[in-house]
Amino acid sequence: MSTVVRYREARSRALFRELDANPSLLLLGGAVTLPFNPDDGLLERYAERILWPPISEFGTAAAAIGAAIAGLRTLVPISTSSFMFYGWAPIVNEAPNVRYLSGGAVCAPVAFHVMAGSRRGGAAQHEHTPQAMLHNVPGLRVIAPATPADVDAAFHIALTGEDPTIIVDHVALAEYEGPLGSPPSDISRPTLLRDGGDVLIVSYSLMVQHALVAATLLAADGIAAAVLDVAQLAPLPVAELIAATEGHEALLFVDESRAAGSPATHMLSRVLQARPRVAARLLCTLDAPSPFAPHLVDAILPDPQRIASEVRALLDH
Amino acid sequence: MRTMSAPDRLARLAAMLRARRFDETLIGHAELISGVFHVSVGLEATAAALAAVREASDLIMLNHRNHGALAAIGSDLEVCYREILGRDGGPQRGRAGSLHLADASHGVPYTSAMVAGGVALAVGMALAKQRLARDGIVFAFFGDGAMGEGAMFESLNLAALWSAPVLFVCESNAAPDPWGRRANPLQAARTLHELAEVHQILATVVDGGDARAVEQAMLASVAALRGGSGPRFIEAVSRPWPGNATFLPTLVTGELDLRDATRPHGGDEWQAVDPVLREARALLAEGESLAAMVELDSSIRAAVGDAFERAAAAPLAPGSDALAGVFSAR
Repeated sequence: MSTVVRYREARSRALFRELDANPSLLLLGGAVTLPFNPDDGLLERYAERILWPPISEFGTAAAAIGAAIAGLRTLVPISTSSFMFYGWAPIVNEAPNVRYLSGGAVCAPVAFHVMAGSRRGGAAQHEHTPQAMLHNVPGLRVIAPATPADVDAAFHIALTGEDPTIIVDHVALAEYEGPLGSPPSDISRPTLLRDGGDVLIVSYSLMVQHALVAATLLAADGIAAAVLDVAQLAPLPVAELIAATEGHEALLFVDESRAAGSPATHMLSRVLQARPRVAARLLCTLDAPSPFAPHLVDAILPDPQRIASEVRALLDH
Repeated sequence: MRTMSAPDRLARLAAMLRARRFDETLIGHAELISGVFHVSVGLEATAAALAAVREASDLIMLNHRNHGALAAIGSDLEVCYREILGRDGGPQRGRAGSLHLADASHGVPYTSAMVAGGVALAVGMALAKQRLARDGIVFAFFGDGAMGEGAMFESLNLAALWSAPVLFVCESNAAPDPWGRRANPLQAARTLHELAEVHQILATVVDGGDARAVEQAMLASVAALRGGSGPRFIEAVSRPWPGNATFLPTLVTGELDLRDATRPHGGDEWQAVDPVLREARALLAEGESLAAMVELDSSIRAAVGDAFERAAAAPLAPGSDALAGVFSAR
């Protein structure tokens, strides 16, 4: 049984559900949705569950990891993803090592939530895509949801699992609608959101929504595009990803990160190793910092029209 | 104040000897260690104090110089050696080595080797103790170098704001400023503990080579912490051990000989400040016999030597294990 909800509603419901399920779950800050969705009721309903830290990302991230080691689960809403760079050392160099170095005797189940990607108008320091760095760190679970069902599952995994988990969220997803069922769906494997026999577009986060729009544009030209949503970037479900591409001979990988070491670049390489004769292309944000002016940022970001153009170019070969 | 009963009189010295003999044995077999290791020679006073004041429910965050504290608090020395030598047998199975040596069964669940990194984790451990209303406090050990990191200042601020039950223990052994301008040539502050005090954290300065003084300072701070005082800070000032080269520690001061406690130390600067010899001298002044101390030392040396030999003879940790346990099974 599922209902259609907005992405931001699914996010709030999921967080509230996990807060209700675990009475000791603590939020270190409240910016899960702030400042973009201030009216979801989190701050009023769960005021006593939020410890507001100073602007102190290293200390806060490390404290969350230390708390996890000592048995207290926290969610750290970091807000704009680049703020995470101040807390980078504990996030990439402490949390992912705890289980491994202890031989599984100790773990650090901690969750971080960031708003990544272009919000437009954020300019160079506020529109990063840290998933391209984070997915390269063994031991970090990195989830980048694209749909209401994805974000619902992302919060469930992040707040009940045993791995340090980062939810790489996107401001621009807030108003997208989609089905939401119960229990949370399984996003440890890719989800086929649209079927089509001519091409498979593989992506995650906001670019999945752009790919769905592109598929509609292509359908008007008689091109049937399928869209695959790979919400869990690390550990990447490689075997399931390769299996999901079976039957498709033309693949387009789309990523809002810059291409160097991006999750889509990784997916492309793993699929091509297994299926070297498939036709594949890669569409990423171009290699410049995010400029402020809308027409400038439009010049570097993938969008539905560019995705559709890449598909046509792919099929022309 | 705790008074020592007769069987306990040598307990402090025993903890210090375990720490010293552990590292001496390791330095003597450095060729068997296939990577980075750091020793804690000269830090035995803080290690012994930790051993004396810790309770089972406490958590301890050490750092890259962790051997001495682990030996002093009673970790299994053979397991420690196995880990440092990349052998099978301990839970860490060759993944941690010397840098990340830990022992969850003695309150050391994880060891960060990043300067000040562990301190910031310790504040969160203390937050967990507080929020979950669990018994115990958290010890955070770090060197004076950590006071140059921004992480340290964030940690002091958060601990003070949250009234977190954490004891910051600064093992301050910077080489003195050759110009005598300040206590630490790499800090603009005159003393390190005043950096804690500006965060409203009560701080104590103590002679870090005097095991008894450190223990008394720790007992007072820990009593306050267990009573809900919020964070405390101890600056234990000692001398840098001259063999502490980063990549290859060497026994430039020679093996410890407890009989030196009875001899005038003349021109040997290190013998004058060696924390273990200082404790031995204090025991002699109290009427303890040198023979009893030497006998204790002999039994510890034998146990440490046996632990090393068994570890060195153990099979290597299995290579097939390198990929195991990066993530939970879900």
